Amino acid sequence: MNAPEFLDRASALAIGEEWLAAAIAPCSPYGARDVQIRRRFLAGEERQANAQAARIARIAERFDLDAMEAVRATLARLPDIAPALARVAVGDSLDDAQALALLRFADGAIELQRRLAECRDLPDSAGESVDRLRALFERGRVGSHAFYLHDSFDDALRAERERFEEARARFESARGRLERTVAESLGRAARVDEEFIVMRDALVAPLPAGVRVVREAPTYLLCEIDLDEETRALLERREDAARGVALAEERVRASLAQRVSKLRDGLVRTAMHLGEIDAAIAAALWTRRFACRPAEISSESGIEVVEGRWLPLQERLERGGGAFVPSSLSWSGAAIVTGPNMGGKSVALRTVGFIALCASMGLPVPAQRARLALPPMIRWLGIGPEEESRGGLLSSFAGEAVRLRDAFTILSPRALLLVDEFARTTTPRESFAILVASLHAARERGAEILAATHLAGVAVAAGARHFAVRGLRGIPARKPGADIERLLVALADCMDYRIEEVAEDRRESSDALALASLLGVDEEIVARARAIVKTLAE
Amino acid sequence: MEVSDLLLDRAIAIGARSVAVVGTGKNVGKTVVMRAIYRAALARGMKLGLTSIGRDGEANDFVDARAKPRLRLAAGTLVAGALGALPRSPALEWCESTEIQSASGPISIVRVRTESEIELVGAPTASGLRACVAALFAHGAEFVAIDGAIDRIAALREEDAVVVSCGAAASTSVEAIAAEAGALVALLALPRHDETSAALQLEGALTPMRAAEFIARGERRAIVVRDATRVTLRGRALLGALDRLQIRVERPLRPVAVTVNSVGRAGSVEPKALLQAVRAAVALPTFDLFAASAA
Repeated sequence: MNAPEFLDRASALAIGEEWLAAAIAPCSPYGARDVQIRRRFLAGEERQANAQAARIARIAERFDLDAMEAVRATLARLPDIAPALARVAVGDSLDDAQALALLRFADGAIELQRRLAECRDLPDSAGESVDRLRALFERGRVGSHAFYLHDSFDDALRAERERFEEARARFESARGRLERTVAESLGRAARVDEEFIVMRDALVAPLPAGVRVVREAPTYLLCEIDLDEETRALLERREDAARGVALAEERVRASLAQRVSKLRDGLVRTAMHLGEIDAAIAAALWTRRFACRPAEISSESGIEVVEGRWLPLQERLERGGGAFVPSSLSWSGAAIVTGPNMGGKSVALRTVGFIALCASMGLPVPAQRARLALPPMIRWLGIGPEEESRGGLLSSFAGEAVRLRDAFTILSPRALLLVDEFARTTTPRESFAILVASLHAARERGAEILAATHLAGVAVAAGARHFAVRGLRGIPARKPGADIERLLVALADCMDYRIEEVAEDRRESSDALALASLLGVDEEIVARARAIVKTLAE
Repeated sequence: MEVSDLLLDRAIAIGARSVAVVGTGKNVGKTVVMRAIYRAALARGMKLGLTSIGRDGEANDFVDARAKPRLRLAAGTLVAGALGALPRSPALEWCESTEIQSASGPISIVRVRTESEIELVGAPTASGLRACVAALFAHGAEFVAIDGAIDRIAALREEDAVVVSCGAAASTSVEAIAAEAGALVALLALPRHDETSAALQLEGALTPMRAAEFIARGERRAIVVRDATRVTLRGRALLGALDRLQIRVERPLRPVAVTVNSVGRAGSVEPKALLQAVRAAVALPTFDLFAASAA
């Protein structure tokens, strides 16, 4: 049986895999290939995952942001030499564009070696093959970055080019003489072009020798220079010399290709090293930018996250001048997060999923401290884009039920289940029952499950730890006419997003009526709702 | 002074560092104009860069099977051209391989080392053309010539001087050729919108239908479009609309001269009559490079 997919589409969207992939994307074709072949760490590979994250953290510490950006700029400029290596592998010749690519590749690899000197956490970016490659094409270097199949590559090439230049000069001279003669005969100051018009009424004598009529019109003649025998012979010699140059150039290209093929194995190794460097620097840059730290990856059950952050939201908030409030959670088996609407319950789930994703990729994680096992899979259960895309085929609850069924089909120990207000669209009684039953079942299979809910008593019924968002510090004042952005800012100012463990039987308030009021729901409706809540409580 | 020098001077006189040659159709002599400008600039010792807006037509004239004129480039000339269209021999100096794509492969910046004929196949998009021209300047070109095409004026830049080529390729009526040239020049020369005057900003294109509506209701405000490519009226319809409406652009172009070619695949017209008729229609200096004459 195949291993279950680590992340399905809905889960990847929910926890921000796409954001992470973009944030640590390499910038060279070598890095892109490295990412393609890299796989996630699995259970049993804890030591390797820890070592990889520690290595990225050391690189992040060793180089500052500017130094890493400079490395990436060099990597981004590296041309892809894979096509050239593929050609020489099958005995084909190189073209000059590929020669330029190889020369620039060698320059870039050597520059990277200098920039990354003495960093033992990165492989060599250059070496003997690269040095020999650069030496091979050095004779063709023009200025700092251009390439020309220079005469110095081969004496025969030089000789053929000299022969061509001589033949060309003799032909041009003879042709120039013809053009001047014709121009003078026609009384024109300038030399005639390849095709020219002679007005019939301007002709006082027959057309001069060396002029051929291409087309006759009633008032003019379209003419061209008709080469005489001597000039035609010179043209023939020029063309013959040009063929000689072409052959000599091909011989040089073939010889260069042959010599590159001997360096191929070393260059392929270097290309792989460059891919590793690219991926590692991208990850280290990200690590440093977001102050990530290696998690403690163990084979034991339980998840502990201290001051964890969900970076996609943190980045968005910071861009708008806001700040992300980290969350801390620790549990083994099952845990519940409760709290008010818009208090950050879902974000707490996403944070844990994101951290687990990072750990499985051998990346440091956005948390002060984190301890977890390598999950074989992460699943997000809740209403998400997947359900919305099903259109009218399934109701919201039916979509969730299908996802629950699919997840439990492949659920295995250490799997991470993130359950976001599961079954919220069905009756509270049944929603409660199915959630509690799922928590029990997942725990029995050894999975780690974290659920966000508004339902009271789930933690007690499921025997799970209970965490709660602190919630609103007072009710923000209603601002008639304020736009939604300003209302959300006002809400954020009043919300205490911190999460703390609470007594198992604590009753939750969703602050839904306060929110409804703040967001502009008719005050009369809100007042009536408050009265109903009061009656129910009594 | 040669006609080609006069043509080059027209571009230089407006301070342009680049000139684009566009035609009213195929086979109207654009390449001959490119060659003339190229030779004139070369004779002045200018470091030249050449490129094209995409690929322009076939290598041979299908009517008389004559090879279309090609550009023979001197050593030192920079070219922004598609990899697949650049010759393998004589070897070129390869300066840069860009990410700009064309139907014939990515665009490369090369320098001619041995005089050779090169087919110009450039970037097909406006942004690609801009990047090509910038790359040519970055590699040392002092003046850039762009082989353009009538259906790709969207790629022209405000900085370019524009030379319009017209000829007997599509019509053997002097009047029709002159009217077509006049309309194209009028389109390219649409004036910049004066922001102090009352205007009607068009998001999309000024189509014949919309123009007819504006004329019918006696629209007196300036009708502003982004650039000449947003005006889809052509020929006499455009000239008629220009008589009745104030059509303005945010991004004007700079036509500086017109060239005529009296010989075409469909037949030929009397060269002097064509030169005079086109001169009268376009109100710009007009040149016949084949007859070495100007009006």
